[in-house]
Amino acid sequence: MNRAIPRAAARAFRHAALPLAWYYAVTLALPIANGAAQGVAAFAEHALAVLVVPPVLIVLVCAAREIVRLLRWRGTARAAARELCDSRLQA
Amino acid sequence: MKTKLCALAIVAAAVWGMKRYYADARVDDLWWILSPTAWLVGVITGRAFAFAPGEGYFAPDRLFLIEKSCAGINFMIAAFGMSMFARVHRVGSAVSCARVLGTSLLASYAAAVLVNTARIAIAMWLAAHPMALSAFTSAQIHRFEGITVYFGGLVLLYELVLRFDRRPALARSGR
Repeated sequence: MNRAIPRAAARAFRHAALPLAWYYAVTLALPIANGAAQGVAAFAEHALAVLVVPPVLIVLVCAAREIVRLLRWRGTARAAARELCDSRLQA
Repeated sequence: MKTKLCALAIVAAAVWGMKRYYADARVDDLWWILSPTAWLVGVITGRAFAFAPGEGYFAPDRLFLIEKSCAGINFMIAAFGMSMFARVHRVGSAVSCARVLGTSLLASYAAAVLVNTARIAIAMWLAAHPMALSAFTSAQIHRFEGITVYFGGLVLLYELVLRFDRRPALARSGR
């Protein structure tokens, strides 16, 4: 579990690299190229949010998915163990 | 290879051109994207938006305005560029280049209208249900919501593009 979330996050970052690159290009690179960064304070606040929120979202979604997967696996393992116990008791 | 480079050059020019067009456009020039968005938001929220020349689309109570910055053109540009990059391996001739360009443009337009509709509808819901305990201002919440919906929409579109892109190969292999 300790390694599952970072591994899943790394996989998700690789998978989402193209959308992330295009999102950053249009929301940060193009405005900077057009001179939008001249209003430094307002643009810095916008840029910080744009930079931070998408990676945070990726990590959160990965963590949620891994937790759901773990809970499902635990449920399946518990059911299998119960079935095994029942069959041994019957035998 | 030459055709692929040509396609990427067209994408770069189109992205730059769309960005320039958006910078110079008045709200009245953006009817082609604002009017379907306003109509769809109206259908979802049950509030019909009315067009005010030079301003945008107003909600009946005039408390909510869909204006130029809400048009979703930046999302459309990102979606178009991303779709083209994801499918550029399909470009082998002028015809396939035109096909990939056309479908990418169509997909990015449809995605922009749908994702922007969702963003505005959620923003209207958030405005009507302010969170009293929130540590963020309503402007910050609006910004976070916009980033979340736009980035989420871009990832969803990417998944759809990959799925549709794999389809012909799967059909050929008989799976």
